[in-house]
This record gives sequence, C-alpha cells and structure tokens, in this order.
Amino acid sequence: MSDFRELLDSHNITRRSFLKYCSSLGALLAVPAAMTPKIAAAIENDNRPPVIWMEFQSCTGDTESLLRANRPSVGELILDHISLDYHETVMAAAGEQAEASKHATMEKYKGQYICIVEGSIPAGADGVYCTIAGQTAVDILRKVGGNAGVIIAVGSCSSYGGLPAAYPNPTGAVGVSDLLPNKTVINLPGCPMNVDNLTGTIVHYLTFGTPPAMDRFGRPKFAYGKRIHDNCERRGHFDAGQYVENWGDYGHRQGWCLYKMGCKGPESFHNCPTLRWNEGLSWPVMAGHGCVGCSEPGFFDTMMPMYQRLPNVPGFGVEASALKIGAAIVGTSAAIFGAHGAVTLARNWKQVREAKEETREEIQQTIDADSDADK
Amino acid sequence: MAESTNATLTTPEQPAECAARRFLYIWEGPVRIIHWVNFFCIIVLSVTGYFIHDPFMSAAQHPYIMGHMRHIHYVAGVLFAVSILARLYWFLGGSYYASWRAIPNPFNRKDRETFWAYFRFYIFLGQKTPHLLGHNPVAFCAYTLLFLLFFLQILTGFALWAQADPGSTLYAVTGWVFGLVSNQWVRWFHFMVMFLVAGFVINHLYSVVLFDFKTKSGEISSIFSGWKPDHRD
Ligand code: HEM
Ligand code: SF4
Repeated sequence: MSDFRELLDSHNITRRSFLKYCSSLGALLAVPAAMTPKIAAAIENDNRPPVIWMEFQSCTGDTESLLRANRPSVGELILDHISLDYHETVMAAAGEQAEASKHATMEKYKGQYICIVEGSIPAGADGVYCTIAGQTAVDILRKVGGNAGVIIAVGSCSSYGGLPAAYPNPTGAVGVSDLLPNKTVINLPGCPMNVDNLTGTIVHYLTFGTPPAMDRFGRPKFAYGKRIHDNCERRGHFDAGQYVENWGDYGHRQGWCLYKMGCKGPESFHNCPTLRWNEGLSWPVMAGHGCVGCSEPGFFDTMMPMYQRLPNVPGFGVEASALKIGAAIVGTSAAIFGAHGAVTLARNWKQVREAKEETREEIQQTIDADSDADK
Repeated sequence: MAESTNATLTTPEQPAECAARRFLYIWEGPVRIIHWVNFFCIIVLSVTGYFIHDPFMSAAQHPYIMGHMRHIHYVAGVLFAVSILARLYWFLGGSYYASWRAIPNPFNRKDRETFWAYFRFYIFLGQKTPHLLGHNPVAFCAYTLLFLLFFLQILTGFALWAQADPGSTLYAVTGWVFGLVSNQWVRWFHFMVMFLVAGFVINHLYSVVLFDFKTKSGEISSIFSGWKPDHRD
C-alpha cells in the first residue's frame, strides 16, 4: 500500500471520497473525466518529485493559504504528502539541519524537483535586503530555482513583484521570472494565491509532466482564463444598471454591483467567483467589497486608487483623476480656439470698418461724379 | 481641357467641373459618407463611452441600461472601425485630394512655403494663404494625428472587448497591447482619447468656419456636396 493510502486511512478518508476529489480536480483543470484514474495514480505515486518551498520578501500569506485548514480535507493531505520536503516556515528542522536537507534534495533530484517561491526577490543594493544563511535571495533563487524541474511562483509578489514592488519600490523587488527568464515559471498570482489552484497545478504537473497551458502572463489558463467580471454573481446588476453608490446604502444591502465603488473585476482574471475561498464559502465581491485586482501584473500600483475605477496620474502636484485631466484637455482646446476666434473677430472688426469706410467713400464719389455730370 | 463630370477621372490638373461654372468636384461620395459616419459614430461612442465610465442613470430610468449602452458602444465601435478602414483604403487608392498623393512634400519648396503661409496665418503673423483645393497642410497634420488617435482608440477598444474571452481570435490579435501597458492604463488611455478627440472637434469646427469665411474656399458646403469653388486664375 502506498504511503498516501496509509495517510488517507489514518484520517478515515475513504478511497471513494479520494476519487471524488480527483475528479473535481480534473474538472478544475478542465481535463476529461477519463483522466481521473491517472490523476489518482499520479498523486499516489511514491516516486513523485519532491517540493522545495522558499520564502523571500513576503507576508507569509500564501503559506497561510496553504495551512488554512480547519479540518483536513483530501486536498490538504495531498499537499501535506507532496509538498513539505523543505518549507522554511513550517518544517521542524532549523539552521544547519534544514540547509543540509535542502541541499540533499537538490542533489538527489537535480532538474526534477518542484521549486515553489513565495514573496518577491529584492534585487536592489546587490540583494542585501533579504539574506538567508548568509546568501542573498537572488543567489538562493538562482541556485535552487535554476536546478528545479519546474518553478511555481505563488502569490503576486513572487509572480510580478507585488506589494514590495509598489512605488517607490525601495528594495528593487522583482518577480521570479524577472530573474530566471529562461526557466519555466508558473505564476499563481493573487494576494494570496488560492491553495486549490496550487493543488491543481502541482497535480497537473505530476500527472502530465508538463505545466498547464498558460496565458501571456505565465498564469495557468484553468485558473486565470476568465475575467472576474464575467463570472461574478453581481454581473446581472451591472448590466441592469443597479449600482452601489455608497457603502451601506440600499443597493449595497441588496447586493448590487460594486463597479462605481472602484471594483476592478472588469480588469482582473482569476477564478475567485467560481472557486471562492475558505472551502468555497465566499470571496471578496460576495462579501460586499469590490475586487482590487490583486492577481494582475502591475498590482499594486495600477489598481489604485482602490475605490476609483481608473488610475490617477501622479506628478501634477496633487494626483489628478482621469476625468480632471480630460476636462483640462477640452478646456485648453476651447480656450485656445476661443481666444483665436476673439482675436480674429477683433481684426475683422477693423477690416469691416475700413471696408465700410471705403465703400461709403466710393458711393460718395459716385454721387459726386453723377451730380457733376448732371451739371 | 476636357469638360467632364466624371468624378473618377479627377486629377489635380483636371478636376471635374460643375454645371454652375467654376466649381470643382473635390470630395467624392465615399469621402463624404465616411466623414458623416465618423461624425455619427464619434458622438454615439462618446455618449455611450462616457456612460460606461460613469453610469449616471440607473435601472430606475431604464431597465438593462448598461447592457444596452455597451451594446450600442460595441455596434458603433465596429461601424467606426469599418469606416476608418474604408477611409484608409480610399487614402491608398482613392482620388487625388483624398489620397496619399496630396500629402504635402516637405522636400518641395512650394509645399513648404504653403505650409508656412498657413501656419503664419494661424498664429496671426500672415494674412495671405495660397488657394488650395484639398486640405490645407496644417489641417493635414492635425488629421494625421487624429487618425493615429482613431487607430489607437480602435485597437484599445477591441482589446478591452477581447478581455471577455482571452481564448478568442480577437484577443490573439489585440492582446499584445496588455503586454505593453497594464489593462487599467489601457482603459485610462481609451478614456483619455475621448477628450483628445473632443478637443480636436472644437478646433475642427472653429477652423472650418474660419477658413470658409477667410478664404471663401467652400470648406463647409464641400463636405455636404463635394464641390469647391475654383479660384485658380
Ligand atoms: C471615438 C471612439 C471611441 C470613444 C470616444 C470611446 C469612448 C469610450 C469610453 C469613454 C469608455 C469608458 C472607459 C472607462 O471609463 O472605463 C469606453 C469603453 C469601452 N470601449 Fe470605447 N470608445 C471609442 C471607440 C471604441 C471602439 C472602436 C471600440 C471597439 C469595439 C470600443 C470598445 C470599448 C470597450 C470594449 C469598452 C469597455 C466597456 C466595458 O468595460 O464594458 N470603443 N469607450
Ligand atoms: S461587482 Fe465588480 S466584478 Fe462584479 S459585476 Fe460589478 S464590476 Fe463586475
């Protein structure tokens, strides 16, 4: 019997519910139902490649997401089973012992192990903002990531720099793919990432030996292939024209659309509305707050202000909203051409007066000439 | 000179002449139709676009209002794109005054002088402007910038639309935009271009009235009828 079966048995989880979980995982990954046995076999395989989880400049939110269990489900047991060869935050070993186990894994499974990275990597000042065991995060990532079979960047920080990379980015924080441009990096952005997507990604890799299909930002399409806005349960209110105008107003209590409160759902790709959080209980928009676009490249800066639809432009003394700049453009145009028109009118006035004068003189001359002729 | 009312034979030397003497056929049907389709589309796109930015009416006024506004915006957007493409076609293969052949040549002394004459006129430093049948060269520069904005607006518009289905062909064609700037800034840009176009419209209306009056060149009536008075002596 495999180690994993024993683990399931020790938690009184039947094979039936394990297979049920595998088929729902298959649904998440959008693979045919016939793949379920293959998925189960891949998870049960004792020769699976190990996982090294590294944490750099982060809030540990992704580890929290990983550990959020309040009752062990099959999914968590899978992660327990496959992920924890080296995880700085949760492993029991410490110091030299921990380093030694990491190196042993790296040696033995060179080019095969799965490297998971949490947190951004501070590349500024030669990387001194984050060092572990005397080595900078940049060097550790190059070594551990460089020798991995595949790298999974969990959370927005390790994917794209995230919060630490927000303006003015004092530590020069960057994402994993910025430092390892030639490695396959699967980005699972989100603040934090949703652990079910991590399970799905790992299982996909174990089952097929390849990363899942990814979009242009290196995100698996099964999890980031649809816009929040297009799967949101408030979408009907959006198209109907029913919007929350103030926190706690009638519309807010009715669960209307949060577009006017700065919801970034129309610009964010993630499966939050369908997968949800905390065992599928809820997700931010369901709870009554707009999406903040945490899983998009460029988050934090491009998604702010949080309660405004479009970004402000810095550098005009105070930050200027898009509408103010637009009004200034139209106003400037009106002022320029209004002034031009006023000058033109004034000049015409002079010309018209002169022309009138000339005409009057001409008429006078004609009259004079006529009366001369009459004489 | 051959007397001809056949529009397609129009060349700078031999524009078709009108029954009313000394009028020349300058803007062919397609140019005028495209102009007014653009006029109509820009108004509709700006009104519906502004509504999308800030839905100032709610379901209380009209059920499904945002859905309809967006629908109208997309239909007008497609029409606008077709119209701009048609103009591009006419620019490549159309009649003399509407095509690339009438682009002022910066290496030609006469063209340069014409440009500066008009430029001086705009900034009140000159009174005399040579009579022209097509665009004046300063206006031509403005139209070039304007059409650049149109292209960018159409590109960003379709890219925003494509976000509803990143697996679509439309996204494959336009999605590269989001690799250059994040989608929030694409939206910001799409919003800002509306104001740039509005600023242009103010300029455009003012300038055509100014030149219609100053140079008696039939600027305004020509975009309805196609005919301009011939002042060449
Ligand atoms: C003169 C041309 C146009 C103007 C003035 C215009 C204006 C606008 C404005 C002001 C917005 C709202 C931006 C915001 O605050 O988020 C918008 C959104 C949009 N426009 Fe345009 N637009 C134009 C052309 C087009 C074209 C050609 C298309 C392509 C079909 C298009 C597609 C869209 C889409 C898809 C949105 C986002 C709507 C949504 O999120 O539901 N636009 N437009
Ligand atoms: S709440 Fe946000 S994501 Fe949901 S429909 Fe409204 S704008 Fe879209």
